[in-house]
Amino acid sequence: MKWITARRRHPLAGYAVVIIALALLGVGYAFVAPTADQARADTLAADAEATEVDIANGKQIFTQSCMSCHGEDGTGRTQEETGNASAWGPDLTGVGAAAVDFQVSTGRMPSMNPNAQMPRRTPVYSDQEIADLAAYVDAEFGGGPGIPEQAPGDAPERADYASEAEYEEALETYEAAYESYIAGGDTEAGMKLYMTNCAHCHSWSGAGGALTDGRWAPALTDATPRDIYEAMLTGPGAMPVFNDDVLTEGNKQSLIKFVEELDAEPNAGGPFALDRVGQVAEGFIGWTVGISLIVACAIWITAKQRAHD
Amino acid sequence: MTDNTNHHDAASGADEPRERVIGTPSAADGAATATGDPHRRHEGPYPAEETHTRSEETQRKGERIAALWFLIAFLAGVGFFVSYFSFPPNADGDPSVADPGIAQLANVLLGGTLTLSLFAIGAGMTVWARQVLPHYEVSSPYDELPSSKEEKGSFSEFFMRGANESGFTKRPLMRRTLLLAMAPLGLAPIVLLRDTGPLPKDTLKSTTWEDGLHMVVEGTDRRITAADLDEVGSMVTALPESHDPEHGLSMNEQAKTVILLIKMDPQDFGPDMTQQQLDWTHDGIVAYSKICTHVGCPAALYERTTHRILCPCHQSTFDAANGAEVVFGPAHRPLPQLPVRVDDEGYLVAAGDFSAPVGPTFWDAGVED
Amino acid sequence: MSDNQAPPAPKALRGVGNFIDDRFHLAKTGEKNLRKVFPNHWSFMLGEIALYSFIILLLTGVFLTLWFNPSMAHTVYDGSYERLRGVGMSEAYASTLHITFDVRGGLLIRQIHHWAALIFVASLVIHMLRVFFTGAFRKPREINWLIGVAIFTLAIVEGLFGYSLPDDLPSGMGVRIFQGVLLSIPLIGTYLSFFMFGGEFPGEMIIPRLYMLHILLIPGILLALIAAHFMILWHQKHTQYPGKGRTEKKVVGTPMFPAFAIKAGGFFFFTFAVITGLAGFVQINPIHLFGPFTPTSITSGLQPDWYMGFLEGSLRMFPNWFDFDIGGYAIITGVLVPGLGFMGLLFGGLAAWPFVEAWITGDRRVHNVADRPRNAPVRTAFGVAGITFYGVCWLAGSNDILSHVFQINLYATTWFFRIFLILGPILAFIIAKRICLGLQRRDRETLEHGYESGTITQLPGGEFVEVHKKSSGETVHVLESAKGKDYTPEPTVDANGVESPASRKPMGRLRSRLAHWYTKDNVSFDGVEPHTGHHLHHGTHAEKEKVGQH
Repeated sequence: MKWITARRRHPLAGYAVVIIALALLGVGYAFVAPTADQARADTLAADAEATEVDIANGKQIFTQSCMSCHGEDGTGRTQEETGNASAWGPDLTGVGAAAVDFQVSTGRMPSMNPNAQMPRRTPVYSDQEIADLAAYVDAEFGGGPGIPEQAPGDAPERADYASEAEYEEALETYEAAYESYIAGGDTEAGMKLYMTNCAHCHSWSGAGGALTDGRWAPALTDATPRDIYEAMLTGPGAMPVFNDDVLTEGNKQSLIKFVEELDAEPNAGGPFALDRVGQVAEGFIGWTVGISLIVACAIWITAKQRAHD
Repeated sequence: MTDNTNHHDAASGADEPRERVIGTPSAADGAATATGDPHRRHEGPYPAEETHTRSEETQRKGERIAALWFLIAFLAGVGFFVSYFSFPPNADGDPSVADPGIAQLANVLLGGTLTLSLFAIGAGMTVWARQVLPHYEVSSPYDELPSSKEEKGSFSEFFMRGANESGFTKRPLMRRTLLLAMAPLGLAPIVLLRDTGPLPKDTLKSTTWEDGLHMVVEGTDRRITAADLDEVGSMVTALPESHDPEHGLSMNEQAKTVILLIKMDPQDFGPDMTQQQLDWTHDGIVAYSKICTHVGCPAALYERTTHRILCPCHQSTFDAANGAEVVFGPAHRPLPQLPVRVDDEGYLVAAGDFSAPVGPTFWDAGVED
Repeated sequence: MSDNQAPPAPKALRGVGNFIDDRFHLAKTGEKNLRKVFPNHWSFMLGEIALYSFIILLLTGVFLTLWFNPSMAHTVYDGSYERLRGVGMSEAYASTLHITFDVRGGLLIRQIHHWAALIFVASLVIHMLRVFFTGAFRKPREINWLIGVAIFTLAIVEGLFGYSLPDDLPSGMGVRIFQGVLLSIPLIGTYLSFFMFGGEFPGEMIIPRLYMLHILLIPGILLALIAAHFMILWHQKHTQYPGKGRTEKKVVGTPMFPAFAIKAGGFFFFTFAVITGLAGFVQINPIHLFGPFTPTSITSGLQPDWYMGFLEGSLRMFPNWFDFDIGGYAIITGVLVPGLGFMGLLFGGLAAWPFVEAWITGDRRVHNVADRPRNAPVRTAFGVAGITFYGVCWLAGSNDILSHVFQINLYATTWFFRIFLILGPILAFIIAKRICLGLQRRDRETLEHGYESGTITQLPGGEFVEVHKKSSGETVHVLESAKGKDYTPEPTVDANGVESPASRKPMGRLRSRLAHWYTKDNVSFDGVEPHTGHHLHHGTHAEKEKVGQH
């Protein structure tokens, strides 16, 4: 501290403090700012070929994790019925397998607090378990849209495979399916459909955006093609429904192609893309980094000099 | 000076001569202190007593540092050219800047070398100014303001004599006719702007929507049936079908005719919907203009749970279940509603034009002609 | 100076010099101008940032015009950027893609141009704030202040139009909002819009017209204004901060030649380097990712560049409660007040301030020594209140981003900003004024008693005190600049106690009341002599008393 005490009246001390403060602000921002793509690997759960579904297992999962809020018969329960302000759930009659798959595979369900919008999380159940659960809900409470199997879901995970070779093979299959699905769409139609029906909530970059009452449209950056497809089919939360009659399978494929390609594209303008937030972030950087660096140079140029140095 | 000057000066106050800031000459040290060496010749353009030449050693060190910076600038400048020629333009196969990943690399290399080069020149010049040049602060008088009485008087007299001689003040007929002659010329540029655009007339009050015109999904141009839109909570952006499939709708037509087609439970329509507005819906399918009545952004954030339509620009919020009334934000009036019906084949068609002028509210938007 | 002779000028230089002087008789004027003095302080360089970024804008702008095609004609993209191949768009957008992906360095220059624009307007703002808070706009520099306000206004318009040119999604929406605001003007709004756009929105004329304004008319006017600004500065000489030898009659600083020229040159390279550094590493306005404009699409988080943010925010905040109809004709205050009123308030207020202040204080003297902000507390407080007002509008322009990032209710943010728009400036005014007065008191204390040296000494009585030392002559000069602020030019009451006729009129009464309010809280420095206080010596009366008590 003596070092600081001795220098705190130095003519440059004030500037030094300002620069340090700004630097800390910048570093702090860098830490706080969410990093893109970090969650991709996390959320891509194993995509075991769901050939066989075990409805009995699905029922068991439902009884364990869903019934307390959605009711034994799946017609939903209110807060009065459960006697718990943070335990209630909507009617599942006719929601279909796609809705279950979307909610559970993105980790939004089971929810700890149905009063708040659920963010995307690591799923609680494995792909097989989710398939079982979806089949049970579909069979028991009446069918809605089924799982769009043609759209690739989560990438395989090493943990779900006995050997490295099996995993490699599964991954290769998955990637081939992903590539061919993405390649199948038409960018112009996809862009048009995304811009007119999605971007007003999810933003041009897929980063999401604000809705009313504290809700938000989630980012699409971590969403798999199947997630996007299922969300359009089922309209989770406040989101409207875009069924296959309005936007056909091909339309949806084009739209998903646009989203995934835009998200995967490197930022030509520079390694710091400011999370593609756009103008607000640019203005912030212009003021904090740009102006303060130039002013720092001005300070160097005009700093007072002592007589005999 | 700045607020922290007093800290600094306060600190140096104890032994003033040694730490004295340059540019505050004191009587005690004249030319001797200033030049450092009383016997050295003074060659600078400014008085020796205001000049503080640096020691030869400092100057030499400064020169070396500055030269180092300039060398860095040179090398970075060469690096800029190398970077430039490493990325051939729109070549197929080669590392082309058309690929975003390579474009980023090229941008970083070009920008980085240029930055370094520019910064190094700046740094070199700063070192030059601060270590090689002597330091001096000279003084110079500000202009006396205003001019002296004599100067002013002389000017005034001269000017008035001239003005009188010109006759401008004395001969009103000439002066006034000249001003008269100027008036039409001055207006000419404004009149010439008349043809920059047509008069608005009533163009803003109607669109090309008419009874029986099919609605198509924007982006796919496919007709929609009421059965397609059967699920409650559905929404899609739609346009009128183009009479000219080759070119589609013009931008101007799109900007006025675009609608949000929303399917809701007919039970959900609120009490503020008039009977006419309800008649304009079909089995819970309602169509509103997508263009916000505030300043014209597409208002499109439809929340199926609250039936709110939110405009992302300035957050005007409209209630889709109540005739798109404004429930929050700055918009002046509801979104115009488009009457919907189905044709014989079950396709959704318009049953007429919008209920009100589309787009940003203008002052006679609510006036019927 | 002396008998020493400077080395003779080299022959070539002498030749050129003689050539010019033979034709212009410039030797004397030239020397006088090269001897021009510029006071040294970093805050005097802020205007230079604006000048240099304007030069960078001109250079990069010329480069961009070599390829940019300001046409709204429809085309199908077939350039090198793969993702958008086959997509329909305007020529303007396609040519911007061409600059980005087919012209080497085109992306860098585009980004430099955009960053330089952000820095240009930002530096105008901080330069203007420096001039405002130091009172450098006072006589004789009011005209240069007005020119500055005009430059600021035009720079914002210039930026908006430039932002609109590439015809990408956000840029087209900016034009849409501009048209919406035009339409809201009573009586002539629809006509203005139709003339501007050559018909309905979007038409095919607006980009070519904005292009002409952006690259020819407005930069031309800006260039002329900047030249005038600089010539006036050159003629009147720069203001300076108070200090030893720095008086209203005499400016002290670095002469233009050679030292200041080298420093200013170096600073140009620094400014250019920082802007280029941003352009090389930080992506800005990625129009290729936004996609082309269509009037039917919109994105969430839509924002203008920062300098339009306050307008965007005011449009978001201002409710429709005050809209009214006259015989069915709508007066849309919800657009007019924030869209045009706030602009008028900002620029009109800035332009009027020097004259308002001179009228209130009655101070019509020439000022060459800048005020320390604390010594003009009401002005400083006004400035801080203005910054707060602007800042709230500005922040409100990003309320959707704030709502999304911090997960706050969107409407709650709007309400917060609505309330804070009124409360914030009032609070800021009070707080800033208090701080100024506190600093004034500390200054008087320092002037009278010297400064706290940081050295702690134990008194014979056992008490620890901080030793006060004499401030340097420089500091004394700076502190004494607070004297003579409370300036009453003409007495409102003459020797016989009769009020002057002017001050008896309502405006005169208002003026004298305002003048009183303007200065009444200032800490008086009258009769304060440097280092006459008692803290300077140990064991003075007061301290002995204290010691005795404990």
